[in-house]
Amino acid sequence: MLTIPPSIVFKGYLFAVPALVLALSLPLFAFGGPVAAILAPIVSAVCYFTIRSLLSQISIVREEKCFLDEQLIQTQKLAAIGELSAGIAHEINNPLAIIAQEIEWARYQFDEERQTETSSAELKDSLNEIAVQVERCREITHKLLDFARKKDPLIQGVEINKLIEDMARLVEREATQKDIRIIRQYCGSLPPVHTDPPLLRQVILNLLNNATYAIGENGTIEIKTRILSGSFVELVVSDTGCGISKENLSKIFDPFFTTKPPGKGTGLGLSICHGIVVRLGGRFAVESELGKGTSFFVRIPIFYQSREVK
Amino acid sequence: MSARPRVLIVDDEERFRTTLRKLLTVREMEAADVGSAKDAFSEMEKNSYDVILLDVKMPEMNGIEALGRIKKEHPDVEVIILTGHASVDAAVEIMKLGGYEYLLKPCPIDELAGKIETAWERKIARAKRKTEGS
Repeated sequence: MLTIPPSIVFKGYLFAVPALVLALSLPLFAFGGPVAAILAPIVSAVCYFTIRSLLSQISIVREEKCFLDEQLIQTQKLAAIGELSAGIAHEINNPLAIIAQEIEWARYQFDEERQTETSSAELKDSLNEIAVQVERCREITHKLLDFARKKDPLIQGVEINKLIEDMARLVEREATQKDIRIIRQYCGSLPPVHTDPPLLRQVILNLLNNATYAIGENGTIEIKTRILSGSFVELVVSDTGCGISKENLSKIFDPFFTTKPPGKGTGLGLSICHGIVVRLGGRFAVESELGKGTSFFVRIPIFYQSREVK
Repeated sequence: MSARPRVLIVDDEERFRTTLRKLLTVREMEAADVGSAKDAFSEMEKNSYDVILLDVKMPEMNGIEALGRIKKEHPDVEVIILTGHASVDAAVEIMKLGGYEYLLKPCPIDELAGKIETAWERKIARAKRKTEGS
């Protein structure tokens, strides 16, 4: 990538180089006579104007670079919006298609000539299905709003192990019924972490839910915490589930990417979690092997530092 | 040749395909439904169909790949693509592969039924031309 040094460096050259030429010409002036005395200011002036011309050219290049950078950012933004809109359209159009058909079917059943016990049961079933699909749309739009909302985190000191344990217990009830065991390996000496507890809870719950889903039945979820280089804590959620293929691994944080059957997942969970972790000043990573399991690594700074996310 | 269109709906949204099957059946079409491209191939081996309604986004094999294979193995069958997400690239690919129509979900049932009818008529006309030619 082209990097241009700050203009102050060049402005320094503008005066320093002619001054150096003049300074070097002083001994010449003493011993070289009038020729050197005339040449020294001329060379200085040439240096001055050459550097000034270079400076103005650099300034033009800099402006062009800024313009191109802006254009690139704009293009990337448009591409992201395009991708997101396509995802939204797809996710909303599917439930809408079902709603439209159920209405058609209900209309058909509602026809007085066909009023039987079966048709009224079918009518009720259609109405229930419409409610299910409306709920599906609602979930998508609400998650989208969560995704778009960039609230500043509200920072509080929190015991990470306790926060994780609360979420683990919540998931454990359902997990036990599916023969899924949750193993805890909490680091005993974790300091209080200054972060946004509800946001972090959302991330942990999502990871534990995903792990349960990936296992299906009979497996293990391992939760580990540890300190990293004194300024970060790391949470690792590993499962013995189906794993993620290499092809899908690069897409799991993309909005609307899901391998779940239609209606079972919006594909927004992990992308929201990724956004939260980044907003909390942390990092999110994943390792997976198909058929063996997946590990998610969440690194959160012990002290949150507010930063502008562009 | 059947007196009414025989339609196979291929979509991984169970509720979508079952209600669509009922709606087409009351419009006097012979409709069946399956949840994946793989099941569609085995169903097409067992029974003969005039028009296939194919979803694009499906696990294992997507609708565009399935369209290619259907047109290769059953060139006379007309395929209508029904998708929740339309894109120009996909439409071009579908037309290249010999898809009859490309419709965006949600598609009004009357419009869809009309498209199935015209696809079926096209299939009949092609079969007639073949018979006359031989």
